[in-house]
Amino acid sequence: MDLTLIIGLIVIVIVVIILLWFFSYYNRVIRYENRIDNAWAQIDVQLKRRADLIPNLMETVKGYMIHERGTLEAVTKARSAIMTAKTPQESMDADTMLTGALKSLFAVAESYPDLKANQNFLQLQDELTHTEDKISYSRQHFNDSILQFNNLIETFPGNIFANMMGKKTREMLQIPEASKEVPKVSF
Amino acid sequence: MAQQSLLLEDHIRKNKRDTVIICMLMVILLFSVFFAVGLILGAPPILTMMIGLPIALFYIFITYSFSIQSVISAAGARPANPQNREEKLLIYKVEEMSLAAGLPTPKVYVQESRDINAFATGHKPQDSIICATTGALQQLNTEELEGVIGHEMSHIRNRDILVMTVTVGVVGAIALIAEIAIRMLFWSGGRSGDRKGGGGIIVVVIAIIFVILAPIFSRLTYLTISRRREYLADADGAYLTRNPEGLAQALEKIKGDIPDDPKGSKTVAPLYISNPFKRALRDSIWSTHPPLDERIRRLRSM
Repeated sequence: MDLTLIIGLIVIVIVVIILLWFFSYYNRVIRYENRIDNAWAQIDVQLKRRADLIPNLMETVKGYMIHERGTLEAVTKARSAIMTAKTPQESMDADTMLTGALKSLFAVAESYPDLKANQNFLQLQDELTHTEDKISYSRQHFNDSILQFNNLIETFPGNIFANMMGKKTREMLQIPEASKEVPKVSF
Repeated sequence: MAQQSLLLEDHIRKNKRDTVIICMLMVILLFSVFFAVGLILGAPPILTMMIGLPIALFYIFITYSFSIQSVISAAGARPANPQNREEKLLIYKVEEMSLAAGLPTPKVYVQESRDINAFATGHKPQDSIICATTGALQQLNTEELEGVIGHEMSHIRNRDILVMTVTVGVVGAIALIAEIAIRMLFWSGGRSGDRKGGGGIIVVVIAIIFVILAPIFSRLTYLTISRRREYLADADGAYLTRNPEGLAQALEKIKGDIPDDPKGSKTVAPLYISNPFKRALRDSIWSTHPPLDERIRRLRSM
């Protein structure tokens, strides 16, 4: 056979392989990015749900904890911080603040037996702790997704394609030390 | 933390690679059976393949279609009741694990039983169900329950139900085809002398032995796949909860558990976290689950 024909065929095969590689790579990048966006959307939903429970909580404890203005104010302040946060990290920091404020509130509530017997209060406490756990796991999944994405675009040969696509590594959500002391609820 | 997840990832990668290799072996086994059957009956392998493959695919399809609802009914499971505090906690844990895994939340069911156990079912993450026994809800603390649910969620994420259902189908198809072949051989007994000469008879005898043993081989392979997937679900589950000790402790409690009377058909055994049916065979190659001690040891080494 003609030598140029053989070389031509080899070149075509190599080009096809590279193209297939690029297509599968491109799809993975898109999928991993979508996973990150979806993971953040989940966190956002939980954050909003948490913030929405606060007014109800305030109404319930208002009548009982009349002299605990500082504790209650800390909670409402944290809630406003969540509502006005602009970046993901800001939202997470505001949420950490809320977790701390709620921890104090629930600790103080221990000395109000009437409040502790209030069904509404108990239900809200359960819900708030539950959303706290949900945010914690959503955040974990978010960071896992970012790790997966960063690994994909930083390792060879992916990084070549990534540069072509203009993809940059993303930042994980930082978890401040304070929030790690979140009390584990045992039923 | 990065160090820890690397170890888990190695576990996960190794188990996934092993599964792929074993599945390829199953497919090779299936096609070998077609070939051997062809040799026995004196028919060209292409013919047996053309007849056998649709039979096998049809069998696998039937197994696939009927598995889910039958599992739930067989176990006598009912949807979890959010008014019950323990069941509410179960619902919470399933929600949390699905968020950690990035999957839609499965439906939550409860099975009345004093045993500590749980299973997951569903071919697609969107249609899946996680069920726990009332025994599990009563005897496990939050961390341990979380470990168990993480394990079940990993089964869903890794499509284990799908993998195991198809594998069961392949095993059944091999057994079915082998049986048909042996029967056809006995009915047409006299004709085998007509074909090839002396050397051909040896080949046919080997093929017959192979076809008789094939169902046993395929069952052993199926059980090996099942055990691998259990290790994988343990590792993946530990990664979801970031707490291998939780599941390890739950398995310790299961170890000391007194068996109740299990309901349901035996095919659902691999979906449980611990085989509820064959206590005696628990630690042998005939078991669908790896030995509890080894699972605990691996979890504690993560």
